[in-house]
Amino acid sequence: MKEMKLFLGPQHPGMHGNASVHMFVDGDIIKRSYLLPGMLHRGFEKQMERKLWVNNIALIPRVCVPEPDINEMSFAIATEKLLKLEIPERAHWIRMIILELARISAHLMAYGGIGGPTGNYTLMYHAQLDRNLILDIFEKITGARVYHQYIVIGGVRQDLPVGITKEILEFVNDLESRLVEYRDLGIDNASMIMRIKDTIMLPKEVVWELGVTGIGMRSAVGKAYDIRKVAPYARYDQVEFEVPTSSYSDARARLDIKIKEVQQSINIIKQCIEKMPEGPVRVKPGRGQSMRWTVPKGHVYAPIESSRGEFGYYMVSNGGTTPWRVGVRGASYPQGLLGIEKYLPGTRIDDAALWVDTMGICAPEIDR
Amino acid sequence: MLSTKYTEKTKLTKDEIDRKWWEVGDYFRRNSLWLLMYCTGCCAVELPPSMTSAYDMERLGMGPMATPRQADILLVSGYLSLKTLRRLIYTYEQMSEPKYVIGLGSCPINGGIYHDSHAVINQLDQYIPVDVYVAGCMPNPESILNGFVDLMESIKNKTANSWKKYRDNNEWYKQNQKDALGEVIIHDEFHE
Amino acid sequence: MMNSMNNIKEVEDLVNKTVKVLKTENIDKNQIAFEIEKLEVHRLLTVLKNTGWIQLSYLSAIDWPDENKFEVVYIVFNWEKPVYIQVRTKIDRGNPVMESILPIFPGAKYYEREAHEFFGIAFPGNPDYEKQLILENWDDIPPLRKDFDPSAYSARKFPSREYPQDFSVKDPNNKTLEKTEERKKRAKALRVGGKKQ
Repeated sequence: MKEMKLFLGPQHPGMHGNASVHMFVDGDIIKRSYLLPGMLHRGFEKQMERKLWVNNIALIPRVCVPEPDINEMSFAIATEKLLKLEIPERAHWIRMIILELARISAHLMAYGGIGGPTGNYTLMYHAQLDRNLILDIFEKITGARVYHQYIVIGGVRQDLPVGITKEILEFVNDLESRLVEYRDLGIDNASMIMRIKDTIMLPKEVVWELGVTGIGMRSAVGKAYDIRKVAPYARYDQVEFEVPTSSYSDARARLDIKIKEVQQSINIIKQCIEKMPEGPVRVKPGRGQSMRWTVPKGHVYAPIESSRGEFGYYMVSNGGTTPWRVGVRGASYPQGLLGIEKYLPGTRIDDAALWVDTMGICAPEIDR
Repeated sequence: MLSTKYTEKTKLTKDEIDRKWWEVGDYFRRNSLWLLMYCTGCCAVELPPSMTSAYDMERLGMGPMATPRQADILLVSGYLSLKTLRRLIYTYEQMSEPKYVIGLGSCPINGGIYHDSHAVINQLDQYIPVDVYVAGCMPNPESILNGFVDLMESIKNKTANSWKKYRDNNEWYKQNQKDALGEVIIHDEFHE
Repeated sequence: MMNSMNNIKEVEDLVNKTVKVLKTENIDKNQIAFEIEKLEVHRLLTVLKNTGWIQLSYLSAIDWPDENKFEVVYIVFNWEKPVYIQVRTKIDRGNPVMESILPIFPGAKYYEREAHEFFGIAFPGNPDYEKQLILENWDDIPPLRKDFDPSAYSARKFPSREYPQDFSVKDPNNKTLEKTEERKKRAKALRVGGKKQ
């Protein structure tokens, strides 16, 4: 039979974000496939070289849209490493609360997003509603729903508003009690199991070849390879949490890990609120006007664990008022580009959207 | 009591009849608008909340539509890189008339935070005509819904006629597209 | 803490034993950087991969126009002994060629392709490094080089042009347009005659 060419995206309801998967199919089996990225390219790395260190804080959250806080965190850590700056204790804990809330929101979006390609829209509606509650909390803390610009160089922008910890606790307790519902609707649902079990598996050997990190890797390798555990940043070494793993990586196992990670994030948030000390939340990274702040020479790479894997900024400073070079390691780079090219052939057309969804492919961070 | 006497109806000209039909059509059209699901940029992340239970777009009679040929609204959600602009023009030209364009966020208006980027266009209405702009980075669901209501109002007032502009000044738009993109239809290894 | 310091020391010994190190930077307890010769990169990466640094985290380049060099950087990571190793090497800027590391790390394929697109570095050994990936119909020098000016490019390519007829959505009957013009004029006058500036 002759090969036929199909596009998945950029204008397609099953595709999350503005990227396109080109597939050559025989019947409904994919023979060759590759990702066409670049439709969200904005030239971030060039833009950041031209902006001051403070001004970059406004620019960076836009690198990854569904989970913007990891960008701020990675940028802040990288700059603080270059400056050799110690930030106040309370700021670390506030940062962790923000990051974990952002992780829950990203996981909910991805978990609900599976409703698109599988037709389970109830799940999507549930997840979006809960995510919206998190965005409301963010609005109360930072003043913005999506792009917060809250984690800045030297701490966080301002202290938590009065009474917000109670609201966060109420929300996470509520969500925790309803995680069973999410399991019933998604991974334990009989029709969903028929659809997603044993599809698009990721064998253990392929992981290291592709360089996949995050949930994709942990579900296949079965080891707790999480940067929060292995090389902890902020105060992740002082909270107790588990890293859920599995040794059989199909779409269902990855979704299962997503929900388990939400549970762990809830545990971390509770511990943070309990252990958070009082005190200042921000130190000034430099003397004088913020326009003239300079950062000493050096090269530094600041990796953090995002909801999709290892995310990091590689920053080079020349001692000037602007960064000399900023490189962004998008967490979904390997699974997005290499995974689709090497791993999708052999699966069916309708499973391509499942790969994009369960591996967590975020188009803007591939393109920058 | 109605008169039984036969009175001849006033003859309407063809234009008047057309106008009446358009009014009827616009009434139904503005109450059931289909939104094309094409997420071009960051602002698309606020669309799921406005579509689902939290803000519920469907109470305005709007729903998402997968194919451009059956959609009424092209929602340009955020910045447009040159690569997306090319696909956006393909999509826009596939849509059937009447079609409306909404520009979300600051970037389609004047380039926004990417005004000096080498990849992002600065002004959307140089390439395709726009009916409603919603400013903000990023606009929250309330203002997105407000933009939709504005569009409905302007369909009612017969001011939402960007598609006519595109037809009448097609050469001008085509020239602008060529200036930015080189050639509108791409030929490379991905599109042999 | 003690353990991770041992890891750094172990890495230093290993790298110093394998290749000639030009410069070492200790960044923190999980990260160390080495600057080495161009021809020894492949040997070092092979040794590191066999020792357990199996994940290629990042590959990119830095432009140093003053020295007339490109610096290529590889970051590898070992999940068992958590140390990020930056391996950096400088290559000539006039004729930038760096042998591909595809046989060692298959994951480098797209990173190399991107580095070629944004810096113009050639990676022989990578079958399709020359194909365009992110940009489309690019008609200028590679954009991440320091001598490329994006704002000039933007002004040239996407100008706010003047037209005899303006078909954009401005409404000529709109009275607020005049008001904004007046306000702008007044602001300008104030700026010139006022105390500030």
